[in-house]
Amino acid sequence: MATLNSKIPQGSLSEKWTNYKASQKLVNPANKRKLDVIVVGTGLAGASAAASLGALGFNVKVFCIQDSPRRAHSIAAQGGINAAKNYPNDGDSIGRLFYDTIKGGDYRAREANVYRLAEVSNNIIDQCVAQGVPFARDYSGYLANRSFGGAQVSRTFYAKGQTGQQLLLGAYSALSKQIKEGTVKLYTRREMENLVVIDGKARGIITRDLVTGKLERWFGHCVVLATGGYGNVYYLSTNAMGSNGSAAVQCYKKGAYFANPCYVQIHPTCIPVHGDYQSKLTLMSESLRNDGRIWVPKKLEDAQAIREGKKTANDIPEEDRDYYLERRYPAFGNLVPRDIASRAAKERCDAGYGVGTGKAVFLDFSSAINRLGKDKVAERYGNLFQMYQKIEDENPYETPMKIYPAVHYTMGGLWVDYELQTTIPGLFAAGECNFSDHGANRLGASALMQGLADGYFVLPYTVQNYLAAEIYNQPIPTTHQEFDKAEDEVKERIAKILSIKGKTTVDTLQKELGHVMWEYVGMGRTKEGLQKALPLIENVKQRFWSDVRVDESEDCLNPELEKALRLADHLELASLIARDALQREESCGGHFREEHQTEEGEAKRDDENFMFVGAWEYKEGAEPQMHKEDLNYEFIKVQTRNYK
Amino acid sequence: MKLIKLASITKKLAVGALAAFLLIFLPFHMGMNLCILRDDGGEWYRNVCHFMGTNYIVKCFEIVLLLCVVFHIVLTFILWLENRAARPVRYAVSQKSKTHQGSKWMIITGGLIFVFLILHFINFYFAKTGLVEGKYVVKVEKVQKAFSAKAMAIQQGQMKEADMQKLQKEYMSIMAAGEKLASDGKYYVNLSKQDLQTYFGENVEEYDYEPDFYNMARDLFHNPLYVIIYLLSFVILAIHLLHGVVSVFQTYGLMNEKYSKAISYLAIIYAIVIPLGFAIVPIQVILF
Amino acid sequence: MDLTLKIWRQENAKAKGHFETYKLTDISPECSFLEMLDILNEQLINDNIAHPVCFDNDCREGICGMCGLYINGRPHGPDEGVTTCQLHMRRFHDGDTITIEPWRAKPFPVIKDLVVDRSAFDKIIQAGGYTSATTGGVPDANAIPIPKHKADEAMDSASCIGCGACVAACKNASAMLFVSGKVSQLALLPQGKTEAAIRVKRMVKKMDELGFGSCTNTFACEAECPKQLKRTNIARMNREFICAKVCSEEK
Repeated sequence: MATLNSKIPQGSLSEKWTNYKASQKLVNPANKRKLDVIVVGTGLAGASAAASLGALGFNVKVFCIQDSPRRAHSIAAQGGINAAKNYPNDGDSIGRLFYDTIKGGDYRAREANVYRLAEVSNNIIDQCVAQGVPFARDYSGYLANRSFGGAQVSRTFYAKGQTGQQLLLGAYSALSKQIKEGTVKLYTRREMENLVVIDGKARGIITRDLVTGKLERWFGHCVVLATGGYGNVYYLSTNAMGSNGSAAVQCYKKGAYFANPCYVQIHPTCIPVHGDYQSKLTLMSESLRNDGRIWVPKKLEDAQAIREGKKTANDIPEEDRDYYLERRYPAFGNLVPRDIASRAAKERCDAGYGVGTGKAVFLDFSSAINRLGKDKVAERYGNLFQMYQKIEDENPYETPMKIYPAVHYTMGGLWVDYELQTTIPGLFAAGECNFSDHGANRLGASALMQGLADGYFVLPYTVQNYLAAEIYNQPIPTTHQEFDKAEDEVKERIAKILSIKGKTTVDTLQKELGHVMWEYVGMGRTKEGLQKALPLIENVKQRFWSDVRVDESEDCLNPELEKALRLADHLELASLIARDALQREESCGGHFREEHQTEEGEAKRDDENFMFVGAWEYKEGAEPQMHKEDLNYEFIKVQTRNYK
Repeated sequence: MKLIKLASITKKLAVGALAAFLLIFLPFHMGMNLCILRDDGGEWYRNVCHFMGTNYIVKCFEIVLLLCVVFHIVLTFILWLENRAARPVRYAVSQKSKTHQGSKWMIITGGLIFVFLILHFINFYFAKTGLVEGKYVVKVEKVQKAFSAKAMAIQQGQMKEADMQKLQKEYMSIMAAGEKLASDGKYYVNLSKQDLQTYFGENVEEYDYEPDFYNMARDLFHNPLYVIIYLLSFVILAIHLLHGVVSVFQTYGLMNEKYSKAISYLAIIYAIVIPLGFAIVPIQVILF
Repeated sequence: MDLTLKIWRQENAKAKGHFETYKLTDISPECSFLEMLDILNEQLINDNIAHPVCFDNDCREGICGMCGLYINGRPHGPDEGVTTCQLHMRRFHDGDTITIEPWRAKPFPVIKDLVVDRSAFDKIIQAGGYTSATTGGVPDANAIPIPKHKADEAMDSASCIGCGACVAACKNASAMLFVSGKVSQLALLPQGKTEAAIRVKRMVKKMDELGFGSCTNTFACEAECPKQLKRTNIARMNREFICAKVCSEEK
């Protein structure tokens, strides 16, 4: 199909990126100054892209919704970042990282992209160290590694339990340097509300100044979207309160295809839900599964007693504990990929073995404490333990943690080609907001790798390749009619929401949507459930547009309006997720259709019919249309994922 | 608002340097005061005072010291003003964060110490410079020396008979005073300016009189009100020092994980021992 | 539990603010502080009492540094080593009156209600809180070994989340702990050493320019820092500053 040309370069897998770089077009330094690049989002992908493009000499404008670029939710990533450095000499290589990522993604990712990711992974670590990122080190003074889910080698670099924070601060510092040098201009507390497309190319954005409520127009020769994922469609997730898929939806509505929306990652180790007032779920890093053992009681009556508070975890003798991951997957044990660990927890809880509220399993450190000593465990996970204790009021050194899966990451996103360009020329998408590298399931410590790979080492090349042809185009004044049109659309949308003056608050509706999504489009999906979900989502959508109640202050900080605007877009996305899940009659990675499982309850892929990327095209006033990009595995042998 | 255009850390370093000098001076002053406790009729104490009052190097240091005090006060006050300006709208609920002992009250304890210093200057330093009336001391041997010099002059016929008679009269009067005053045979002590005139006549300058700090101190320390003020001042000084000493080390970057604990303990010891050394003197005087 | 809230309300940066009192009933002790405020806002909207209370928050897991409320005289409230979002209502008692104020400091002007503008922190970082390595062309990550204790210490210094509690807690509204965290991190690592002297001078200068107070070593910052950055960072920065002024030949 002509519209979905993934533009994969020629050559063998390991030569593709080299070939691309050798033949891409460049812009000379004098011209770079004349070219405007808009970057939306300041997470790992956005900040690193803006910093790198600024350092090259382009005129960069970077936008974020928070008060500072350092607040982006990349900061919350805990465990680590993968790279094929093979420092521990345990058999790692670029090929191995590539293979693990493809396999972890359940053979639903594009080979060439993933190989490039593995290739540049090593540069990321070098880059970060040069920025002063304080990665953990051994007594030798060299970098330390730990292992993560879905891998049999130790390739994860980490900075205590705050790797995302340190990497983001590294990118933020690089960005700060460019801001000081004047090549990057920073605009904080601005939310992108619309994309401006002129003559088929992305030419600018409309933002809303969240403090004054003013709408502003910005021109760019190209626009880079790095706005993260849409996990908050589920309301309760490990995402930040402000994380949203709104900008991506705006682009989708302007013609960018949205790929694989149903691939939503449910993270197995989160602090369980307590009550209705709860606003978010807190992740407990996957790295905990290095030393923690997951179990539930073997006997139903023990589980019952624990739930009723008659027994505690410590009352259950060793022989009555069911370490179900170790039992089911002896080869990978507690370190199976996330989707598998999540489903296994759900399976045990559904069978009645859950603890806590019934929707929780134990993550136990007693054997690690016995083996390594409390100090060593504290050194590795101290801050996570403290975090848990503050929330749960229980000491994880003494009683096992209670955890349960929660929405964490979205593998789906804007469809991009090899250059990370969407179907709208001049609109690029990087990081979690594109769909490209993780297939149907992302491995732990790979999101940081992908965000930084896109920003530091991919976009600076591919954006330049695009801009090389743009040197002939003068900046378009923001008085252009397309800017008028785009701004009017936003004005209209805001006016409409404010005019409803209904009775239901945004949070109430968002929670309702979340319930529907978790219930029917969550960990285990069925055809009936999905078919039920679609009208339910439609119902919430209708109630939103007829009964939402939003605080009316338009010219000052108004978080309610911000939330409402995002919810409007999330409602759009919710039905797209459900639609995509319905369409995909197979189980793969994070997408588990209960109809499609093996007798042992494992996911059953259908490579014959579904080895493609489902990219959705928005149709005004009609149902979206799906386009297929077939996945051709030339270099890897497609197998059934097996972690036993 | 920046009243002095220097980096904030530079200003702090200056305050710290001035403070450090004062910290070094304090033990010397304390040692001097402790001489009062010696049961020698004030001999040691007077000797120290004499040395301090007459040595030129010490005099130079005195000026430096005074400047230190002044600049320490002026600078900290300016910093305080600047720091207040950094929070134009204050909190409705007073701050309840845990802070280093004494640190919140430095400007107040410092101010009170300043008030005490003025009192102290009036009592001692100004007496020395003659700005206020004090008590004075004259050495017996000085008087004897002066008389024998004069007697020698008379014997050699350089002086008239009438002078001789006048001298004898003067000698008698001083000797009479001496019986009353020079109990230990070494000093005529605790004399007011009036006493000096009465006993030594117009030529009092010849006898090299000096302020009688020993008796001035002992007299003051017999005044319970003064003792209370004095002791309170040293409690306040202790509070000031509890933070001040650590603060100097911190400002000069001399604290680190390895020995900051040791420094903190040393600071506490210093902040207690020094004021205690000062305080012990009036306690002993008033009680024994 | 039932609570009385006294909350600072201020329409915008220029408006004059005041305290408003609200009552809340039946709050679960398991609720987080910000969730309690969510409940309040839900009530304010539903009952049409007032505009909802604006407060900054984002990740709600204590790492983004967005949230920051001055609760009963302490930044981030009565718990140690937590951000406001990690504070739970079990730290309060039934019937308590809770006074909530925004951060108060000249460089942190109030934008609305409890929201303040902390872009001053960004400006300090922009003044020099980085190594000048641009993308690409850097040596292998293991080319320079770094002693473990130094790397660990750098990590501790780097764990600052830029929430501003140190400024809010300091009686002088000093930003020394924030600045010293970054200065320390980069001064401890060989990669940051190259520019250490110029960095500390520039960052301190910017900090002063922005109107933060100076440090009087009260260490309230250390007591309130949700990430428990240590005062030794400030000592290290002072040391770096002296070295930069005295030993460095760079102007």
